[in-house]
Amino acid sequence: MNPFRAAIAVARKDLLSEWRTREMVPALAQFVVLALLIGNFGFQIDSRSAPSIAPGILWLALVFAGLIAFGRTFAAEREQSSLEAMLMTPASPVAIFAGKALAASALLILCEVVLLPALSLFFGTPFSAELVIAVLLATIGMASLGCLFAAVVARVRARELLLPLLVLPLWIPFIVAGGQAVQSAMGLPGSYDQAIGLLVDFDILFVVLTSLAARFVLDE
Amino acid sequence: MNRLEKAAAGAVALMLIAAAAIFFYAPTDYLQGPVQRIFYLHVSSAIAAFGCFAVVLAGGIVYLRNESPRADRYARAGALVGVVFTTVTLVMGMLWARKVWGAFWVWDARLTSTLVLLIIYAGYLLVRRLSEAGRQTARIAAVVGIFGFIDVPVVYFSVDWWATHHPGPVITSDALPPQMLATFLFTMLCTLVLAAVMVVIRYRIEMLMDMKQLIASGAPLTVAIPRRDPEPAQ
Repeated sequence: MNPFRAAIAVARKDLLSEWRTREMVPALAQFVVLALLIGNFGFQIDSRSAPSIAPGILWLALVFAGLIAFGRTFAAEREQSSLEAMLMTPASPVAIFAGKALAASALLILCEVVLLPALSLFFGTPFSAELVIAVLLATIGMASLGCLFAAVVARVRARELLLPLLVLPLWIPFIVAGGQAVQSAMGLPGSYDQAIGLLVDFDILFVVLTSLAARFVLDE
Repeated sequence: MNRLEKAAAGAVALMLIAAAAIFFYAPTDYLQGPVQRIFYLHVSSAIAAFGCFAVVLAGGIVYLRNESPRADRYARAGALVGVVFTTVTLVMGMLWARKVWGAFWVWDARLTSTLVLLIIYAGYLLVRRLSEAGRQTARIAAVVGIFGFIDVPVVYFSVDWWATHHPGPVITSDALPPQMLATFLFTMLCTLVLAAVMVVIRYRIEMLMDMKQLIASGAPLTVAIPRRDPEPAQ
């Protein structure tokens, strides 16, 4: 069985079920807007301070939206016990994992479609291609790690507690590099190209590592 | 005294000798004064922590390959002892920083990555606590332990990769006077012995806990009291 087609089929199934229920994307969109609202009240924001505060709010909102999104990745499979059925098909566990990661990152990207314009709208920070590229590059690596650890904790009792504890420390490289890239995209000092290079490096490293590990996590 | 008790007593004795060397043999630093003596144990415990996390990594890889309960127990022992030594490293470093930098904490690449290291392996221990012991948990923990190890080279090379406040490597760059170097190498050796003894003792505790669980699960014990490792609990 072609692993690429299997992965696409799994991603399509997840996105189709999201399209039919329309649960996650509205919830995530509402969540990030609420996060921006809290940021607005937590900081004293004016046109001068906005570029130095907005990147932080962006990453906080994105990271916690990601935790919600990836925490739900295996929820349906768990409730219906369908993961075992999927693993019994000839599709390789890595392909199933890749499909789940693709679907979850698509949901997170949809949430960014709301977050990034809303950030510019509310805080008056520049909305640029550089900003979008930095956030998308970070999303790739964050999605592969998030999905791997969502699979790791899927069958553990205290999964809601464990997922943030495990994933957040491993996301830090993406927040370090992505934070720097977004800051320089918003006009603060710092090398944008260097940060993007780092993001690409981290993406490659973690996509390879998570695909290698997926076999041990999903295989039962 | 059994063998483990002897080993523990020996490790403690070695640490006391190392303390004597640090305070009475090593010369006082001209610039930093007596606070520089923190360096010996601070760096040694960082290296011991790296060693413990390497045990977690190796245990995790071996466990994923052949589900050896011994490998998993070594990984558990290594994580716990590694967290202890990382904490020692951070606390001693903060005491030094208070005197030399004027603040307990700065958001420096090495400090931050070491804090992340502590959080990752504290998370590893939480995984073991929050999920029922067994094959599944051991596999999950192995994956966490393998991924967590990525941070060890980051901590090590952070002083080269980023501009940091933290002093760079003084051992490999040959910057220490011979008496300080000798004190450091001796302290490092003693700390590594201490860490190894702690891992072995913790291994023993983990084995007894596995046996207790095995007995509680009602599995028939074919050997009266296994001198060697029991089978994995399912």
